[in-house]
Amino acid sequence: MSKEATIWLVICVVGAINYIARLSFIALFARRDMPPLLDRALKHVPAAMLTAIVVPAVVFTSPGVLQLGPGNAKLVAAAVALAVAAWSRSTTLTIIIGMTVLWLAQYAVR
Amino acid sequence: MRSHFSRPAFFEGVRDMTPALIGIVPFGMVCGIGAIAAGISPLATLAMSAIMFSGAAQIIAAQLLAAGAPLPVILLSCLVVGLRFLVYSAAMAPYLRRLSHTWRNALSFVLTDQAFASTIHRFRESDDLRANASYFLGGGALLWVIWQVATLAGILVGQVIPASWQLEFVVPLCFLAVLAPLLRDRVTFLVVIAAGAAAIVLDQMPMRLSMICAGLIGIATGALVDTIRRQRE
Repeated sequence: MSKEATIWLVICVVGAINYIARLSFIALFARRDMPPLLDRALKHVPAAMLTAIVVPAVVFTSPGVLQLGPGNAKLVAAAVALAVAAWSRSTTLTIIIGMTVLWLAQYAVR
Repeated sequence: MRSHFSRPAFFEGVRDMTPALIGIVPFGMVCGIGAIAAGISPLATLAMSAIMFSGAAQIIAAQLLAAGAPLPVILLSCLVVGLRFLVYSAAMAPYLRRLSHTWRNALSFVLTDQAFASTIHRFRESDDLRANASYFLGGGALLWVIWQVATLAGILVGQVIPASWQLEFVVPLCFLAVLAPLLRDRVTFLVVIAAGAAAIVLDQMPMRLSMICAGLIGIATGALVDTIRRQRE
């Protein structure tokens, strides 16, 4: 299957899954309550999945090459961005400073 | 549908949602930039925003597709991030029970993180179902429209900026901005440590299964810590 065909299939299936999840308790099984254990687990979905996306994008300089030191420009930029995000709570400022640090750090490493 | 519509409440919902756009516009742009960087066509990128209407799922789909992950892995990973909608749906459900099916179907479509966060308090405080539903529809509709505009802006930026600028790095930066305030909670901190360590250790798993496995390990850690704490109390 071509990449373009795959993405259209993903759009339709995930679109349907998301809509069904949104409808679930509102329309499909409106008389039921959420099981407590499921509720407790789902609360952690955002933090866990965001981390699972962010960490590999930051710690690997190229596929399979782990670099956990100041020589990794992405790691330096992410550390600064995390501090900026915690302090400012601004997405825009985090992105601007993070990208600037990335470019500067790459220049410095070279 | 008409019997439950209140025009003033709808526009009140639109107005009250405008401050949230400060966070939504960059995130929507990031989704556009990320998809273009992953080699997805502009049309499909717009369709992702219009139909999936979930930034996290759109980013995951784009990244896994670019990494050559097979279709079932992409779908499974998107399914896990979509599970949070169950939580929002369950929290909103008691307030919407008396609405018609058409209304519930429409409101469900615009149920997102931001729409939930900025309207749930109104549902808890007021019994005026007609006004509440219209208010939610107004805020949700604004988010959907702005999400499309922001994605389009991201597509344009993504096509103009050369690859050497590494613009795809805006994706982890955007997510760090979402993660940072969550880290103050101790259990969430443990969830992040567990998921992060797993993402590094499991990186060599085949078919890019590492992302979904690291996420599930983080979720399980959080549920386990919560359960232990609850038993101690």
